[in-house]
Amino acid sequence: MFFSAINNSVAIAGSKQTREATEKSTAKQIVGDFQLKLLDVMKEGTVLGFQGRYSQLEPAIVKSHDLTKIVRIVVGKEWNILSDKQKSTLNDVFSRLSISAYAFNFKEYSGESFEYQSEDKTARGGIIVHTLLKLPKNKDVKLDYMLKKKGESWRIINIIANGVSDLALKRSEYTSILKRKGFEALIAKINEKIDNYTKQ
Amino acid sequence: MFIYSQKKRFSTVFSASLLIIVSLLLSGCAGNKAIDGDPSSVELSESDPYERMNRKIFQFNASVDEYIAHPISEAYLYITPQFVQTGIANFFNNLKDINVVINDVLQGKLQQGAEDSGRFLLNTTAGFAGLIDVASEVGLERHEEDFAQTLAVWGTPKGPYLVLPILGPSTSRGIPGGIFDTAANPATYIGIPIQLVQMLNARANAGGALKFIDEAALDSYVFTRESFLQHRKYLVTDGNSEVTDDVMALEDDFYDDDELLDDELLDEELLDGVDIKEAKVDKVMEQQLELTSTDVDSFKKASESFDGAVKSFDDTSWSFEQAGEKIEKMD
Repeated sequence: MFFSAINNSVAIAGSKQTREATEKSTAKQIVGDFQLKLLDVMKEGTVLGFQGRYSQLEPAIVKSHDLTKIVRIVVGKEWNILSDKQKSTLNDVFSRLSISAYAFNFKEYSGESFEYQSEDKTARGGIIVHTLLKLPKNKDVKLDYMLKKKGESWRIINIIANGVSDLALKRSEYTSILKRKGFEALIAKINEKIDNYTKQ
Repeated sequence: MFIYSQKKRFSTVFSASLLIIVSLLLSGCAGNKAIDGDPSSVELSESDPYERMNRKIFQFNASVDEYIAHPISEAYLYITPQFVQTGIANFFNNLKDINVVINDVLQGKLQQGAEDSGRFLLNTTAGFAGLIDVASEVGLERHEEDFAQTLAVWGTPKGPYLVLPILGPSTSRGIPGGIFDTAANPATYIGIPIQLVQMLNARANAGGALKFIDEAALDSYVFTRESFLQHRKYLVTDGNSEVTDDVMALEDDFYDDDELLDDELLDEELLDGVDIKEAKVDKVMEQQLELTSTDVDSFKKASESFDGAVKSFDDTSWSFEQAGEKIEKMD
C-alpha cells in the first residue's frame, strides 16, 4: 500500500513534469519557428518586396500571435463599450498594421541571428521565452516573448525588447487616442500608418 | 567598431527600438515632426501629471528640431565622410566613459568600474584619444551608467515625467542627474565649438530613431514617453527585474480578459477591484484637473504646474539628503 502510494506520487509527479516539459517546448518552439521565418523572409526580403514579405509573414504571425487577445489588452477597458462592428474593424486594421510593421521593418538581412536563452513561468500560467537578437556589429538586444496558452497551443502576446514592452507601449498609445480623439480617429491613424508602410 | 549611423542596424524593428532609446538619451532635441495631440483635451496620468505642459514643450522641441537641428544635422551627414562621423561618435563616447566609471563606483559596481576604466584607458591610448573603439573589438563592451541611475540605486524616487525645453525627455530625478553628468564630462570644459560638434553628433546619431518614431508611433508624444520611462527602468535594474514587473502588471489584464472570454460574465469581485483601482486613478486625475480646469489663462496653468514640479524637486532633494546620510553611516 505504502509503495503503491509512492509509485502513484512518482507517476503523478512524472506526468506533471512531462506535461510541463511539453508545454515549455511548445512555447519555445512557437517562438523559434517564428524567428526562423523572420530570418527567412529577411534573407529574401529584397526579392520579395513589401507585398511578398507581407504574404509570407501573415500566416506565420497569425499562427504564433494571439492578435485578438493583444488588441483587447491594447484598448483596455474601452473594448467593452465598442460595438461589434467597431470590434471587427479594430481587429482587422490592427492585424494589418502588425503584419505591415513586420514586413516593413524586416526587409533585409545583414547577419542577424536569434539565440534562445531560457524560459520562465509567470504567476498566472504564462511562459516567458528569453532570447537574444544578435547583431553582427552591435550589442545584442534582449528579446523576451511572453506567451499565453490558447486551446492546446501557445501564442505570443507580448514582446519586450531591452525592457521596452510592446504591449504596454501600444496600450498607452491606443487608450490615449481613444480617450482624447475617439474611435474613428484611432482607425484613421492606423490606416494612415498602414498606407505609409505600404508606400515605402 | 561601434558605428551609430549604419543603416543596417535599422533592418529589424527591435534594433530600431533600441536605437530610439539610445537617441533619446543622446539627442538634445528628441522631438518629432508630427504632433498628434490636442493639449487641451489631455487626460492626466499618474506617471505624467504635467502632460499638458509637457506636450507643449514637446511640440516646441519638435519645431526646433524641424527648423534648426534636423537641417543642420542633414548637412553634417552630407558633407562628413562616414569614418569621420564614426570617429567623432567614438570620441564623445570615450569622454562619457569617465562618467560611466564614476557612476560604476558610486553604485558599488567595482568590477564593472575596473572594466570600464580599462576600456577608457585602452581607447584613449591605442584608440588614438578615443577616435577608434578598440575596446569593443577586444570584447570590452560599453556600459550605460549615469548619475540619474545612481540616484535611483540610492533610493531616490523617479518623480514625474518631464519634457525639458531643448533637452528633451527626463524625470525630476533626471535633472540633478543631468547636471552631474554634464559636470563630469570633459567636453563641457573644452569650449563652445566642441560642444556644438557634440550636439551635432548627438542629433545625427538620433536621426534614424526619430524616423522610426515617425513611422511607428500613432501618438509620438506617448510613444516617446513610454519607451523612455520603460528603458530608464531597465537601465536602473540592469535588465534584471523588468520582465517580472511588467508581467505582474499586465497579467491582471490577461486575467480580466480570461474572465470575460471564458465565462461571458462579469465577476463582481474582479470588477470591484477594477473600480477601486480606477477610483484611485480618477481621484488623482481629479486632483490634477482641479488644478487646471478652473484656470483660464495659460500663465496661471504654467505656474501651478511648475509649483508641482518644484514640490517634486523638493522631494528629490529630500531623498538625496537621506541617501547622503546613509552613505555617511556606511563610512
